[in-house]
Amino acid sequence: MSEEGIGAYLNPAQMAKLNRLALNSRYVVEGTLAGRHRSAQKGASTEFADHRSYMPGDDLKRIDWKVLGRTDKYYVRRYQDETNLRVYLLVDRSGSMNYSSGEHKTKFNYACTLAAAIGYVVLKARDAVGMYIYGEKMDAALPCKNSFNELNNALKILQGYKPAKGTAGADVMHQIAESINRRAMVVIISDLLDNQPEIIKAIAHFRKNLHDVIVFHTFDPVELTLDIKRGAEFEDLETGEHMIADPRTMAKEYKDLMGAFIEEYRSACSEMKVDYRLVKTDEPVDTFVRAYLEERKRLSR
Amino acid sequence: MLVFANPVFLWALTAAAIPLMLHLFQRRKTVVTPFPTLRFLKVAQKRSSSRIRFENLLLWLLRTLLLLTIAMAFAVPVLRSTNGASWLSRTRRDVAIVLDASYSMNYEMDRGKVWDICKDAAAGVIGGLFPGDRVCVYVAADTPVPVIEKPTTEHATVIQAIRGLTCQPGSSKLDETIAMAVRALEQQEGRREKEVYVMTDGQAIPWQGFRDAAKREDLPSSDKKATLSREERDKISFFALMAGAQQPDNTCPSDVKVSPSLLLSGQNARINVRVAHTGAAKQVSVGLEIDGQERGRRSLSAEPNAQGTLEFAVGGLEPGVHIAKIVTPQDALPEDDNFLFLLRVRKQLPALIVGPQEATRYLKAALAPGAADDSVKQIEAAELESIDLRDYQAVFLCDVFPLSGQAILRVEDYAKTGGVVIVFPGDRADAAAYADMKILPAQPKGSIDIPVESSARQLKRLPNQKDQVVNFNLSLPPGTVPTVALKRALTFGDLQESAAVLVTAGDNTPFMLGRAVGRGRIFMFGIAANRDWSTFPLTAFFLPVVHQLIRQGAGASLQPPHLTMGANIPVNEAIPNYREDDAINSPSGPPLSVKDGGNRVFVIESLAEPGIYTRAKSTSGQPEPVLAVNTDRFESNLTPITPEELTQWTGFKRLLTAKDPEELTRLIDEFRNGRSLAEVFFWIALLLSLLEWWFANRTLRSQTGATEKLKVDLSGKVATS
Repeated sequence: MSEEGIGAYLNPAQMAKLNRLALNSRYVVEGTLAGRHRSAQKGASTEFADHRSYMPGDDLKRIDWKVLGRTDKYYVRRYQDETNLRVYLLVDRSGSMNYSSGEHKTKFNYACTLAAAIGYVVLKARDAVGMYIYGEKMDAALPCKNSFNELNNALKILQGYKPAKGTAGADVMHQIAESINRRAMVVIISDLLDNQPEIIKAIAHFRKNLHDVIVFHTFDPVELTLDIKRGAEFEDLETGEHMIADPRTMAKEYKDLMGAFIEEYRSACSEMKVDYRLVKTDEPVDTFVRAYLEERKRLSR
Repeated sequence: MLVFANPVFLWALTAAAIPLMLHLFQRRKTVVTPFPTLRFLKVAQKRSSSRIRFENLLLWLLRTLLLLTIAMAFAVPVLRSTNGASWLSRTRRDVAIVLDASYSMNYEMDRGKVWDICKDAAAGVIGGLFPGDRVCVYVAADTPVPVIEKPTTEHATVIQAIRGLTCQPGSSKLDETIAMAVRALEQQEGRREKEVYVMTDGQAIPWQGFRDAAKREDLPSSDKKATLSREERDKISFFALMAGAQQPDNTCPSDVKVSPSLLLSGQNARINVRVAHTGAAKQVSVGLEIDGQERGRRSLSAEPNAQGTLEFAVGGLEPGVHIAKIVTPQDALPEDDNFLFLLRVRKQLPALIVGPQEATRYLKAALAPGAADDSVKQIEAAELESIDLRDYQAVFLCDVFPLSGQAILRVEDYAKTGGVVIVFPGDRADAAAYADMKILPAQPKGSIDIPVESSARQLKRLPNQKDQVVNFNLSLPPGTVPTVALKRALTFGDLQESAAVLVTAGDNTPFMLGRAVGRGRIFMFGIAANRDWSTFPLTAFFLPVVHQLIRQGAGASLQPPHLTMGANIPVNEAIPNYREDDAINSPSGPPLSVKDGGNRVFVIESLAEPGIYTRAKSTSGQPEPVLAVNTDRFESNLTPITPEELTQWTGFKRLLTAKDPEELTRLIDEFRNGRSLAEVFFWIALLLSLLEWWFANRTLRSQTGATEKLKVDLSGKVATS
């Protein structure tokens, strides 16, 4: 990887494919700049919101004279404010993210590429993007900026990290949820191989703070099917534990367990109105992002 | 008993331990494979462990069994049914061949006659013996025939003797012949294996002797020589070749009855034919030929394995003996398609009246109403010594006593050989004059004169009494009241043996007595044949009574229209008017041997040939047909015996049954050498290896788990199916 920043993850052709896409929030967000996303604030857009009683100091231009004529009371018109979107990318660099079945990227590498693609799309829409990198602890917290330079810097920092040994995903997520003080979009890119109830609670924490949450549950294909043709001594990437097993004899039971694990996350996210997506590392990132954003756009109409 | 042809390969059975050893000492070469987390793997391993353990156990069993089976197959296991003989049949053996020679063995099959197949099979059995083995041959015909009585090692001679055998036209008694063959084997010294080979067509009838013998076994009078003891049945090995058709088809005329039995010229004969059929139902055309010309043809629906009857009516037969034949269509067993019989048509029934004119006047008028009738002759008592009585159906003795001793002997001889003698008393003799004739039903004690007031008597036919030999039916014209007026009547002493009072006049006056004497009859009246003693000659029933007596005489000496082959046939019964100087010729030409049985009884020792037998009289050279002899149609029932019946009837412990010579050869080979199970074991090994391959690879085949049931689209959206 000779290049740095976004160029290390996306080539020009991939960026070209992502150019015209946009990541829209499904909920109102709170930004610092005027943008094309609905804000929680009332402001100066052309979209009428409601009336309120006139108070001294209000601009006389905002008095609704028609209402005054009908009711002999002073009311001022209020308009929907529009703001920019702040997107926080949470990239998991736990030990389990260092897995690759050999034919594809490691899950961490794939997560970085996915984060670069999402960040690129967000910045192209003039929205702001920030990044949290965590493993056994919070490794880096980069604030939201609507600048490609800032994204490049963030990706350079990400590039400098390698997968950690352990994981502390739930705790870090709670910490991040507390640190984001205004409504924003939170994109979690992780394999979520931690204490499942705790992770779900952490996601719920984001939703409690009214963030729009997207979960990209990242897997290597072999992780899903256990398609390993011979017996092996497995080594846990996080704990270093070893275990001898013949995957052929227990593939069915494994797949059932993994299916239940995924289904648990999916149903929990569905209940919390979190956008849950299962990502396999054998899919090209640009293709996946394009398909995902188009699907999201279609659903938001 | 299971033995091994290549026991050295049994060492290979230790290979069965290989799967277990591999399992125990296998050095697992595993590659360290990093994996995101082991928590799912651990749970999956725990959940699948019991299943995997069970599958591994099954797999181990399969592989062990496979190796065992292969090792066993190479060791060539051989299953032997006997354990007395040494290995590879290197034992001496005594063999008896029993050939069924009944005429049903002539059944024609696709590959030839059953008889020839059996002879070839017998030769094959002998050809398969070792030089020191001994063999004897018996033929089961009507009586057992020892062809090679004592077991011999001259195999070529025995085969030659078998080749020269011909099938007999009779039936066969397999039980007696097998018993005889077993006895012949038992008389041999030395400890040898004993085997009996029965070559037959599979017909049930020849085996029925075993079934009947089993029923007789409890009786003290049973003929133990003809039956096999339980020990003999268990000790000796029996092989039965059932070479006949599995579903035979045969139709034959089995019996013929001619009525009336006494056939006179001008009368219509009714010929009742019984047709036996073996096989499926079919339509059969049955023909009647008389003197070589077809006289009728009838169609019969033959039911499966049943008998049917049909009738021919024939008229216009000339007096004489006619050769008649019932013909069924030719089938696979042509020997029984014809049934021969003789139609003896008589012009009249000749009668001889002995006595003076005045005593015989009414009798002669009754029997020969015409002026001149050749059938009735009247002579004086003195001529009785010189005339041959055998030319007459009945002899009337009217007031002839006392007779000379020679005359009495001739009359008695005539009666004993089938003639009928009717005695009327007369005034010339007193009671003592009858004493010399011992064959009378009862000796007269005297005569009584009957008063006029009690002279009218009604004749009463006494019902047959117990053990009564002579029967007489007083059948009179309708409306006739049998009443006579008696003037005098004989009184009788005690009845002789086989005698009875047949008719009484009134309540208790004996009117007519009868007695069976030899094959003939003697009747005696209590009144004279003329009007001197009664009005009987003037009554309307005199004529029918006299005619019935003559007919009874003719019936008593009637010859059967056909005979069945057999031995010791009484000539006097079978051949009418047989004389000592008559020559009886068999159908093929040679004269028959007629044996004098004493007391003027002659017997034909053996009627061994079916066909028409002729008699050449010394007086005339033209032979005349006298006997029609047929095979016993009992043998024509070809219903095969079932293996269950065979086992049950014979009770043989070691009985092997073959349907053709090839199967017999295979059975003998298996019996002597045992049956190789190597091929069976190889097949089992192949089956086990296929099973092992399938079972071992089933775990490698994709098993759909819950992960694969998740539907993940391109955008990563998950939907459960």
